[in-house]
Amino acid sequence: MGSGTRLDGLSAVEVMMSATVETRLHQRLDWLIWVPVLALSTLGLAFVASSTLATEELNRVPFWDRSWVRQGLWYFLGGMMAIGVCSVDYRVLARWSPVIYWGTVLVLGLVLIPGIGAVRFGARRWIDLGPVQIQPSEFAKLALVLMLAHFLSRPREELRQPRIFWSALGLLAVPWVLILKEPDLGTALLLCPATLAMLWTAGVPHVYLRRLVVGSLVGGVLLVANLLYAPPRWQVPLEEYQRQRLLVYFGRDFAAPGASPEEKARARALQEARSYQVRQALIAVGSGGVWGKGWGQGTQIALGFLPRAAAHNDFIFSVIAEEKGFVGSVMVLTLYGVILLRGLQIARQARDRLGRLIMVGLVTLLFSQVFINIGMNIRLMPVTGVPLPLLSYGGSSVVASLIAAGLMQNIHMHARGNRP
Amino acid sequence: MSLLDPAEHDNRAVNGLAVLVLAGLVVLLVGLWWIQVASRHTYQGQLEIQAVRTVRVPAARGRILDRTGVVLADTQPSFNLGLYLEELSREFRQEYGRIRPVEVVHRASLWTFGRGSAQVVTQAVRLSRSQLEELQWTARLRVVSNAVRQLSEVLGNPIAFDAERFRRHYLSQLALPYPVLVNLKVEQAARVAEAPALPQGADIDVLPLRVYPFQATAGHLLGYLIRDDRSAEGEEADYSYRLPDYRGVVGIEAAYDSFLRGRAGVKSVWVNHLGYKQAEQIWSPAEPGLDVVLTLDWRIQLAAEQALLRVGANVRGAVVALDVNTGDVLALVSVPGLNPNHFVTGFPAGEYDRLRDPLLRAQVNRATQEQYVPGSILKPLVALAALDRGLNPSAPYMVQSDPARPDRGCIYVGRRKIRDTAPPGEYNLRRALLRSSNSYFVHHGLQPGVVERLAELGVRLGLGQKIGLPTRQEAAGVFPSPAQVRSASWRDGDTANLCMGQGPVAVTPLQMALVYAALANGGRLLQPRLVDRLEAPFPRTSSSVQQFPAGLVRRTVALPMNHLRILHEAMLADTEDPEGTGREAALPGFRVCGKTGTAQVMDAQGRLRGYTTWFVGFAPYESPSFVVAVMVEDGGSGGATCAPVAREVFRALQEYGQRNATGWAKRG
Repeated sequence: MGSGTRLDGLSAVEVMMSATVETRLHQRLDWLIWVPVLALSTLGLAFVASSTLATEELNRVPFWDRSWVRQGLWYFLGGMMAIGVCSVDYRVLARWSPVIYWGTVLVLGLVLIPGIGAVRFGARRWIDLGPVQIQPSEFAKLALVLMLAHFLSRPREELRQPRIFWSALGLLAVPWVLILKEPDLGTALLLCPATLAMLWTAGVPHVYLRRLVVGSLVGGVLLVANLLYAPPRWQVPLEEYQRQRLLVYFGRDFAAPGASPEEKARARALQEARSYQVRQALIAVGSGGVWGKGWGQGTQIALGFLPRAAAHNDFIFSVIAEEKGFVGSVMVLTLYGVILLRGLQIARQARDRLGRLIMVGLVTLLFSQVFINIGMNIRLMPVTGVPLPLLSYGGSSVVASLIAAGLMQNIHMHARGNRP
Repeated sequence: MSLLDPAEHDNRAVNGLAVLVLAGLVVLLVGLWWIQVASRHTYQGQLEIQAVRTVRVPAARGRILDRTGVVLADTQPSFNLGLYLEELSREFRQEYGRIRPVEVVHRASLWTFGRGSAQVVTQAVRLSRSQLEELQWTARLRVVSNAVRQLSEVLGNPIAFDAERFRRHYLSQLALPYPVLVNLKVEQAARVAEAPALPQGADIDVLPLRVYPFQATAGHLLGYLIRDDRSAEGEEADYSYRLPDYRGVVGIEAAYDSFLRGRAGVKSVWVNHLGYKQAEQIWSPAEPGLDVVLTLDWRIQLAAEQALLRVGANVRGAVVALDVNTGDVLALVSVPGLNPNHFVTGFPAGEYDRLRDPLLRAQVNRATQEQYVPGSILKPLVALAALDRGLNPSAPYMVQSDPARPDRGCIYVGRRKIRDTAPPGEYNLRRALLRSSNSYFVHHGLQPGVVERLAELGVRLGLGQKIGLPTRQEAAGVFPSPAQVRSASWRDGDTANLCMGQGPVAVTPLQMALVYAALANGGRLLQPRLVDRLEAPFPRTSSSVQQFPAGLVRRTVALPMNHLRILHEAMLADTEDPEGTGREAALPGFRVCGKTGTAQVMDAQGRLRGYTTWFVGFAPYESPSFVVAVMVEDGGSGGATCAPVAREVFRALQEYGQRNATGWAKRG
């Protein structure tokens, strides 16, 4: 299965496909993907509404400007994009992937330029398009997966060459550095497991992978050790808020060992403030109990203990967990689980390595996001600004997630045995 | 299919990935189970704790009434003008937004870039954390002081706004309304209620307030309160906030504090993470305190007070009026008075200094708390002691004339000359008592056994001992014990002094009233009764909760009736005989037996500093019912200063007796 033949045969397929896309969508619609996606979107709408209801009612936000209405529009837009993605064979998309990739890198670079990138919550992550703001890093994840899949779907022999391996890492590094620069540590870190999984699936020799994993583990441990134990002068320069988040996660004091009592008191106050979100999220999740308090009944939201700016966003899961309890949490996990396992099944049945690699990349991305976000709500992970796909409020995240679903559908449609 | 065999490896990786994904999901599931199922109670508890503030709501304090039902201390609703800060939080934000400094920047976004124009927008200036905080305080202070100013306009008079007080309130009691003005006048409350527009968050709330409608009248007996929000014994102690509550310090307010206070209620205020109130729930309502019904008669108290005040400017004195048979305290006056209202609502200008004046000592209840040299009012006891030791009341005793002042008598004890205010001449007991002859009583006091008997009588009649008043306003007084007068250090000079009521002896007006009551009732030393009963605040549902028995006798002192009759007759003569020192106390139709006293007060150097003047008596002569003790510091003389006061009190007592008699008749 050489790359040349694959590219040549496409135009005919494409012509044929555009004629039959309607019927095929009907026949080949993967219900195991779309039912959970639909369910999660509905949950997203309901709980974005629940968590913003009180504030927006109070501030007399007009109907069309309510968060859940806007979120609904994003679902619609995302759905359209997903259909659009389905209508083009993923191999065509992969052919265009260098363009998409470098275009995204360009936009990521533009974000960093003051005057173009908009600052919110202290980070320059958005591009202001008048009525809407988009977050290019959400799309960069997809672009990277597509690009890597395209790059790695080459003969296994070539993958043994260190040059290929390093080039693949280089493809990761470019958006990684740009996103880290915003700063958005969470999204940047998400790219790593996806890349790793794709390298592994593609068949990069295990030696390289082992070195990579061990290397990054040692690096991570060193970084944490440095943060926790090194004297201030020897510490790796991190953004202050990142340092604090990590300290909160590891339950360490903010104050330096030799600090005066006032400094210690100040540090403790700061620590209180910084660990506040985590604690409140944990209380919200825990107080939900088995059955939850009911939709719209979450007191952590109503009394504002969960920060209103984050509740419908990164902490949407704690709202669901508080209002629907353990039952709701299990339901959310199950929906994600179905998508993830179905995604891997699609990967197994994919017609070619390209499709398999894309699937593996997408599944790993989705899984990492789910794990990091829910983990952060139950204090398993440090707080990072990683949205929960399809549930968290935010246009870019929703659209990117739906595009990913569209890609899954695309690969499913062209799977082995699915071809007419 | 075999074409795709190289993908066998890929499938292994995919399978591995599936295992990892499943493992991850299981980890999340277990984590969620642990938090939401296993430890849900912990978190639910934390939820409660962080969102609920308990507030102690003091109960309405019970009233204090006189025996006829006149309210002497009342609890009335006080209208407080407060600002509910949770309703202002939005305005705080808006004001903050207004005063937050901004800068103008030119921004080119992709959206506008295409159209070739740059957008001119403003952007918040970057400030340090402390600057931001300062800005927030400024915003809050502006909003609140604006609201206070608007409220001043509504009320028509300026209200002072203390920024520091507001800051303290905001930091410590955010969930409670900020008190702008406490204890509004009715007219002010009406203005607020009818104002067309009040500033956001302003409202009137009602708290119980202690009011003493007759101001300083009976102020000492009633006592006063201080602010004390602490939990009473046995009460829940874990409050986040406490509404203002008071505790009695002295007087009835202190003595019956636990009954008057009632039981504080508990309410919970749900707050948000900023501490603003969201909702509230009352867990247990406050139970109002019991009413205390005094034995005091309002009219007698007022008559006594006014009679005492008529003595002169800045008079310092006390009056005690008792029922001779029951020990009921009908009046207990101490002037200068204190106004218990001031302890609750604040002192007017100069009032606090007056309270602390070292000469006036207005805080002291002179009727029970301060001891005085009795002077001649002790002479009836000397007479009783002498009679017990065989004095013939009609036997004449010749008083020699003072060589220095031939119109006055004198007596020599050893080489010391004791001067007399009474003229020289022949005296029997009756004349000696009504002229208050020092010489006669010193002479007979020096007879064998008399001073021992006097010491015994005095101690038996409760002198030099505390009565055990619950009001925390009591002095024991001083009186020599029988052992003391028998000791070698006791000299004739001491006996002479004691017989004139001078020397090592000091009494309180209440003690003297009780002694004279014993003389009047045949030797029963009574326990004075201040409180008749405790009542539930709503008399219709239940009446008396606890009744205190009347006529408790501390001890009975054996006093021969014939001696008492002689004494009563002599004391009656004191007010009715033209020569009597207490003529001013005489009251037509209500025969008063009494004794005046004018005691010398010496300073530390033994110099005469002034006189403590007394009149103690009982009436009516035929069947003694009431005893009155009047004491004035630095008066002229007992007869001139105190006897007229006593007369007025007796007049009130006479009316009281008639009222009761007709009352009994009606009821009968």
